[in-house]
Amino acid sequence: MEFRELLKAPGPVILDGGMGTMLQAKGLRLGEHPELAALDHPDWLLDIHRAYAAAGTQILCANTFGANREKLKRTGRTVEEVIPPSIAIAKEAAAGRALVALDLGPIGQLLEPTGTLDFETAVEIFAQQVRAGAAAGADLVMIETMTDLQECRAALLAVKENSGLPVMVSMTYEERGRTFLGHAPACAALTLEGMGADAIGVNCSLGPREMPALVEELTRWTALPIMVKPNAGLPDPGGAGYDITADQFAAAMAELTDLGVKLYGGCCGTTPEYIAKLCRALEGKNIREAPRSVPAAVCSPVQVVPIDRVRVIGERINPTGKKRMKEALLREDLDYMLGQALEQTQAGADILDVNVGLPEIDEGAMLVKVVKALQGVTDAPLQLDSTRPEALEKALRVYCGKAVVNSVNGDEETLEAILPLVKKYGAAVLGLTLDKNGVPKTAQARFDIARRILEKALSFGIRREDVYIDCLTLTVSAEQAAASQTLEALERVKRELGLKTVLGVSNISFGLPVRPLVNQSFLTMAMTKGLDLPILNPNLEPMMAAVRCYHLLMNIDIGAREYIASYGNAAVSTTITASSAPQAPAPAGERTLEQIVLAGLKGEAGPAARRLLETMDPLEVVDGVLIPALDRVGADFESGRVFLPQLIQAAGAAQAAFEVIREHLSAQPGGESAPKAPVVLATVKGDIHDIGKNIVKVLLENYGYPVIDLGKDVEPAAVVEAVKKHAAPLVGLSALMTTTLGSMEETIRLLRAEQIPCKVVVGGAVLTPDYARRIGADFYAKDAKESVDAARQVIG
Amino acid sequence: MPITISQINTAEVLRCMGCPPEKADGVLTAQVESCARELLAAARPRWSWRAAEIALEADGVRLAGGLLLPGKDLRTHLAGCERAVLFCATLGAEADALIRRTERLDMAKALILDCCASAAVEEVCDRIEAELQEKFPGCSFPFRYSPGYGDLPLEVQGPLLDLLDAPRRAGLCATASHLLTPRKSVTAILGVSSGEIEKKKRSCLGCPAQGSCQYRKAGGHCGIS
Repeated sequence: MEFRELLKAPGPVILDGGMGTMLQAKGLRLGEHPELAALDHPDWLLDIHRAYAAAGTQILCANTFGANREKLKRTGRTVEEVIPPSIAIAKEAAAGRALVALDLGPIGQLLEPTGTLDFETAVEIFAQQVRAGAAAGADLVMIETMTDLQECRAALLAVKENSGLPVMVSMTYEERGRTFLGHAPACAALTLEGMGADAIGVNCSLGPREMPALVEELTRWTALPIMVKPNAGLPDPGGAGYDITADQFAAAMAELTDLGVKLYGGCCGTTPEYIAKLCRALEGKNIREAPRSVPAAVCSPVQVVPIDRVRVIGERINPTGKKRMKEALLREDLDYMLGQALEQTQAGADILDVNVGLPEIDEGAMLVKVVKALQGVTDAPLQLDSTRPEALEKALRVYCGKAVVNSVNGDEETLEAILPLVKKYGAAVLGLTLDKNGVPKTAQARFDIARRILEKALSFGIRREDVYIDCLTLTVSAEQAAASQTLEALERVKRELGLKTVLGVSNISFGLPVRPLVNQSFLTMAMTKGLDLPILNPNLEPMMAAVRCYHLLMNIDIGAREYIASYGNAAVSTTITASSAPQAPAPAGERTLEQIVLAGLKGEAGPAARRLLETMDPLEVVDGVLIPALDRVGADFESGRVFLPQLIQAAGAAQAAFEVIREHLSAQPGGESAPKAPVVLATVKGDIHDIGKNIVKVLLENYGYPVIDLGKDVEPAAVVEAVKKHAAPLVGLSALMTTTLGSMEETIRLLRAEQIPCKVVVGGAVLTPDYARRIGADFYAKDAKESVDAARQVIG
Repeated sequence: MPITISQINTAEVLRCMGCPPEKADGVLTAQVESCARELLAAARPRWSWRAAEIALEADGVRLAGGLLLPGKDLRTHLAGCERAVLFCATLGAEADALIRRTERLDMAKALILDCCASAAVEEVCDRIEAELQEKFPGCSFPFRYSPGYGDLPLEVQGPLLDLLDAPRRAGLCATASHLLTPRKSVTAILGVSSGEIEKKKRSCLGCPAQGSCQYRKAGGHCGIS
């Protein structure tokens, strides 16, 4: 019987048990490579598989768990040498009684952002295994023991793109119900079902008694068959074994039928005896098959956001009309975007829209960079916002979780180009109620487009719950009749089509005075008509207040807990007045800007600078106050009176003041001073310790130098390219380990070989002035302060 | 046996930042204490260990089962030991994530958190070592030794992690350039001698950080002795 028929047939499906522990019992030595068993000990392998088949196993996992090119490197064997005989031995043992799965375990290196392995490299590593396994005749693929949802995604994509085989995906969780990386079963369920897994589950790390909580969480978030393959209880950290007998194992597993588990097996410490007893315990048992309906939701790897109440989509990561964001994009200054992201989530955004579309940049490449960086620092799910299918696909590939695609519309061509991507990567999709003819004036015409988008999405196999509709806000000052049409269309889409609704709120008030007043009222009206996903600036408190009030008044915020938590001791003003609030006057006896910088009080520096600008020339504030203050902190740092955290805090306070001065200057026509020449920074190839480099970056920026930050583990050629592209007169390189000093030397050699007229400053724990000279650096910086000194000397 | 730590040595954190503890003012000390609490809430120490017979060979130390830990320094270090206990420990990926996130918001705080994490992982190793020593009553132990000390190359991280089943048991891996991820992690080799051995102190002379060491600048040492 084929795998998919097996899933449909009534009753449990029996998997096999442990392989590693069985090989050790056969005599595999400590340090010997278990993945080579098919070559070195084929008879052992055949025995083990046969014993499992005899015990009642219906799906045998071939011994290919670690047979990837990275793990095989140390053995001198290739994937193509190891996988075919491994599959062949399993098939021989199965002898038609059981199916054989190509087993894919973790690569053995962590992916970005915790590790350094790139996502596409991971896909390629798995793809090589899948091609070899499919050619060798595997019946299905088992992806297992994963702790990183992103690695699961890489493996699943590799299976889908390189074979037509069915696939089970299983992760391993700790007692707290999360993987080592903190990834949640709910997120795995939403993401992996979306991407086309045939069954999902849990294996390894825990025993059968720890399974029910994990299985219950999975069943809430997927309609797929569930598999469990636990260990023989909990392991001893010293490797001495597991704590549950075969009888106890079988009894605990049999209780899982009530939770609807379909596939049953064992992992470490389980043997053919465990599987035989499991088989007997499950004999004649019915699997409780309750129909499961999974609600509308999006997720990151650690957080599910169900669309079961108003969820705010933050709109700030978008260059349209935002000069600072444009600059950040052109300079590839990801930190600015990350700051915007964190600010929005702190203000209450549930989902973040990400738009990096600028004519001057490669949108796809930039979207990938920004998505990766954002997922390194925020747990909020993302909404990928682009009109280019190729950019969307690149971003969808690397996005870990279930994203929203923003957007499609009623235009057939757009639907045909983008909906297949939504389906392939398991995203939700936002549909705009417009088409080639523009935005229809009437609610009826917009409703018709919404229905067309829904039907098309369903025809691609996208779930109804994953289609969100935006009935489009028009500017009320231009078309006053439009607002009521938008609201009517929204209400009908919600009620008649049963879809979640989206609305960008802020456009409504263009050209009107006291815009927040109009925006807040419109938002409230829309929520009462059924708006689920307003797109807005969450930093505007009146908007968030409207959402919180709605939840309070609609009995969604039970016990007014969130409302009181937000406003219980509110010094926050949530009212909107028609006159713009005057700047608070400076209270007497306040600290001077110099004192503020010396004390590192970031929050006070901006207002103090603003006060000074009322009476002083901007340049005077810089040269007469800020620079001397920074110099004093620098001197105190050098003489050991203050230390690195205080130096950073002082510089941070100075930067807040610089920011105010920059705004002040750019508000005056022609007033903006030319920026200084940039500094390129990189932590060299092979090194991942980048906090020192990041501190240098912050200090340089505080002193007014634009920084092109290439990140960590940077190829020498990438440094050369960036220096050329930005005509940077100074390059800063850092390395923490002795083993990576070689790549530092190589980077400098390449810069010199290309005859680039730049100076190089190097730093890092293991460097010495002498070594810096030897590898051809112009400056050695013993700390962050000395890097700034180098920049002053080179750039001024 | 889960290891939990509830305290971080503040003086150690200050030294790690290049600040002699007696020179820290109240504000800085309070910041360190608050960061220590935050870091401890995010850290999830995980570890695994295994004991192996060892043989001192011409080109290094051979573990039973075949793995060679190359170099003369470890061989000298383990003189008189007939066994070694290998272990690995990590604070977990969420401690890394906390530091990464904080770097975007407040670099000074991120630096303090980073140093708290360095102190915390040493504290975890001390606990593990104490627990392991109890398993070998009457034995003596030279100080624990890690890849990167002396001439023991980082290349052994991968095979050591394999032996310890570290990816599965602790979520700990090495990168292609042999650095541990999550970052706040350690692998260590603890010699075990059934007899008396000469008590050695770890010396700064053999350390790759040498002249530029933050601890020495702050008038101390890294505490590994």
